[in-house]
Amino acid sequence: MLLQSEIASILLNGLQQGAIYALLGIGLTIILGTMEFLNLAHGALYLVGAYTGLIVFQETALSNGLLYSSGITTLGFEGGFLAALFVVPIVGFGIGLLMERFVAEPFYDRPETDQLLVTFGLALIVEETVKNVIGGNTFQSIAPSTIFGVNVSQPISLPLVGLFPSWRLFIIGIAFLVIGLTYLVIERTDFGLVVQAGTHDSEMVRILGIPINRSYSLVFAVGAALAAFAGLIGASIQTVSPQIGTEQALVPAFLTIVVGGAGSVRGAIAGGLVLGVIISAMTQTYSQWAQIVLYLFVALMLIVKPEGLFGSAEVGE
Amino acid sequence: MARDTTALSRRDVLKASGAAGAAGLTGLAGCAGVGGGGDSEYPALGNYPVEGDEVVFGFNVPQSGSYSQEGADELRGYNLAVEHLNNGGGWVDNWDGLSGDGVLGKTVTAVEGDTATDPDTARQSASRMISRDNAIMITGGSSSGVAIAVQELCQEEKVQFQCCITHSNDTTGGSCVRYSFREMFNAYMTGQALAPVLAEEYGEDLNFYQLYADYSWGQTQQASMEQFFTEVGNWSQIESVPTPLGTSDYSSYLSDVPRDETDVLVLNHYGLDAANSLPQAIEAGLDQDMEIVVPLYNRLMAEAASDSIGGIFGTADWNWQLEDDASQSFVEFYREEHDRAPSYGARIAYTQTLQYAAAVERAETFYAPEVIRELEGHEYSGAGLGNETMRGCDHQAQRDVLVCQGVDPSEQTEDLLLNIVSQTSRDDLGYACDAGPAAECELGDYGDE
Repeated sequence: MLLQSEIASILLNGLQQGAIYALLGIGLTIILGTMEFLNLAHGALYLVGAYTGLIVFQETALSNGLLYSSGITTLGFEGGFLAALFVVPIVGFGIGLLMERFVAEPFYDRPETDQLLVTFGLALIVEETVKNVIGGNTFQSIAPSTIFGVNVSQPISLPLVGLFPSWRLFIIGIAFLVIGLTYLVIERTDFGLVVQAGTHDSEMVRILGIPINRSYSLVFAVGAALAAFAGLIGASIQTVSPQIGTEQALVPAFLTIVVGGAGSVRGAIAGGLVLGVIISAMTQTYSQWAQIVLYLFVALMLIVKPEGLFGSAEVGE
Repeated sequence: MARDTTALSRRDVLKASGAAGAAGLTGLAGCAGVGGGGDSEYPALGNYPVEGDEVVFGFNVPQSGSYSQEGADELRGYNLAVEHLNNGGGWVDNWDGLSGDGVLGKTVTAVEGDTATDPDTARQSASRMISRDNAIMITGGSSSGVAIAVQELCQEEKVQFQCCITHSNDTTGGSCVRYSFREMFNAYMTGQALAPVLAEEYGEDLNFYQLYADYSWGQTQQASMEQFFTEVGNWSQIESVPTPLGTSDYSSYLSDVPRDETDVLVLNHYGLDAANSLPQAIEAGLDQDMEIVVPLYNRLMAEAASDSIGGIFGTADWNWQLEDDASQSFVEFYREEHDRAPSYGARIAYTQTLQYAAAVERAETFYAPEVIRELEGHEYSGAGLGNETMRGCDHQAQRDVLVCQGVDPSEQTEDLLLNIVSQTSRDDLGYACDAGPAAECELGDYGDE
């Protein structure tokens, strides 16, 4: 019983961590797969998502903020996080469009090292801008106490696991809803078809007369929106400070696609979950070995299955 | 401000012996353009002699990384100290030896560095300050890993280091050096001050479970908690689990805490780490089954976790609500400049800079061995914590320690986050020179032996 309870707890914690990794991984993998563009600013998009969520959450709070000072005090529900759920992906999408047009496009035909440098530079600029505009302060996580009228501030008792923060259950649900929708769009729509075809052979797609440049913009924007959404989820469970993009998002995103395989959405989902469960399991059993085992696992993947769980060998070559 | 007679006699001996004659030329260079200051009788050592009419202090603080907000407030404290040393005002007007016209007649200028809360980066930054900027004294840091790394470098380079925020027992214990001094208290003293309060509050014969940041500070912190909770309250430790510095999600660690057996959960985390671990512990409902303790508070953590700190016990270096004259004047002039109450990091930064400057004035030289001898055994009372002694055997300040409790979120203001529960007298704290962390301390040489 104790063992079962431990396993259930590991799986649930792993699922929650894995959901964030998967959101990050999907964004990174479709950009890398379709455009063969290495985006080290992916963590910066996570940062933008977290801060956008924070600002929306604060400014729409009932007791203070922009809405309150404008006289709107009777929204009747704690709307901050709900508003952020919609605003953050839209902001991420818009930034993704701009990034693709002004940062990525001039570097598509340049060597990967140039792409790495320009995107890493962009990440530093975003981090420093946040520090200068908003300040280096650390902000509390932005979990609401109620959402859709449901109280999520108290932990709830789950079979086997015992008490578990109900807010984390909610975000596991919403993250997997978004992951599922993204998967359906890529698997079942024309846009998804172009993305998948572009992942395998972008030259052929162009020869077929499909306006792949427009698709590039959309793919980049969707990837950015997913990273920003991951940032919002992260901001609801952890403190928000200017370092989180690099420290919490960038490395996990790359590890996820190494495990899952570059260019594969299914791979990013699987990779994220596998990493989440490994970290959770190691932390709960042999915490000092967690990081070592994580990197050993990724190294092993690179040796045994370099294309990842679902990746195609061509991507990135 | 008692003078250290031992140091005086030693300097007289040095003068009489003419040992400094060998350095006559460098001594002259030190005097050029400043009109004396009595600073020409010692051989060159580290960045001594100080040439020109300016003297450089190096402020090496975390401007990025987990403790960057601490670093920002430390810098505010340092800059106030420079302002007051050069132009008068603040504690300078009340501290013996300081006059407000610089230090030994030289204007104080500062160079700032970023430790990035990382020992290697901090050493590189301090090294640049020593070799490129000729800093005569380095101070700063907000991590014991950083403080220990930099003080070792300063011992090698014969440049004085004044610790800022560092709470590990090792800083003035197993890793102590002659060239470093610490005004802040340590984990051992936290245990001594906190355990009786908790035993009184929560009872005896309880079970406690610890999480601790896995580096010098966290390791000594958890060891001291284990020692004093066991000795004072007869509590039993269930388990003690290390967590990597910079962890942001503690949910897996917290899932593993046995709710049925644990009476007290001790979170030995600081700064951003504590700002994540405490709210996540409360989010998981652990506070419903057990008491939670955060042994060392700081403002960053209290602010970033403000919804979660209500009623949580811990210790603090100093607090703006202390009513003594020195504390209140510090709060006043800090508030004039920055429009809010200072954190304890700002007080330590300010105090350590003034302590060094006053010791230089007493020694009448920047020559480090003499300055060090002035500080060893020095007694002072103008730093907001009553009577203090900078002990000679391990360079650890013997001073009072505050036990605090988080203010309920509904009663918090921007400045009021913690209430002072008790000020434990230094007479009830500390340890002899051959006991506790000091037993492991070997300070090393002065450099003029």
